Amino acid sequence: MIAGHFGLAAAVKARARPVPLWTLMLACQWLDVVFVPLLLAGVERLEPVAGAAQGAYGQAIIHADYTHSLVGALVLSAGFGAVAAIRYGRSSGIILALVSFSHWLLDLIVHRPDLPLLPLLPGGAGGVRLGLGLWRVPAAAATLELAIVVIGGALYWRAARGVAGTDATQARRAVRCGAAVLVAGVLTLGLNLAGL
Amino acid sequence: MSFLLGLLLFVVVIGIWDARLPWPAPRTGGRP
Repeated sequence: MIAGHFGLAAAVKARARPVPLWTLMLACQWLDVVFVPLLLAGVERLEPVAGAAQGAYGQAIIHADYTHSLVGALVLSAGFGAVAAIRYGRSSGIILALVSFSHWLLDLIVHRPDLPLLPLLPGGAGGVRLGLGLWRVPAAAATLELAIVVIGGALYWRAARGVAGTDATQARRAVRCGAAVLVAGVLTLGLNLAGL
Repeated sequence: MSFLLGLLLFVVVIGIWDARLPWPAPRTGGRP
């Protein structure tokens, strides 16, 4: 899941208006941002499901015990929130930590059981691995992501239009931002579905 | 590619555009 995380962050912005949007967008993907260098270094990895094409939507098992274990996600999210709190204040830091951890919760819905509770379990042997496996039904997972993008984008658009008020320039900016969130969300989901 | 493009669009492009909207400032707890 990629676009769905952005959609959730957009929805949070509609309520948590003082928190900068870019920090929410970075927070919602923070676990994957840390995952990428570990993937490139071979510390964590993606394994295609048997018979699936490389990169096919939702057709991979993730071996990411550091970034996508329950404890790892909590630690990374707390760290993100703590650093953000220095610049944006305690309440923004807490919100950003929660948004960061929401990544794990949304992943829990779509992943096959590959999310461990703890990192450093030897090969994962004996460790509980979680995942409700909605990716086994790609159309359902994609529909869920699209719904989060559309709802989150609409909530953000409405909030942006609200703060813009009657100023014509700000109103145009708000419309541009709202439309961009929806278009970027759909584009990201489309590319993900295409295996890109 | 979708992940990196998503980050570029949402964090950088839309993040910059959004920062120009008159959102309330973060409550940092500092004294004015």
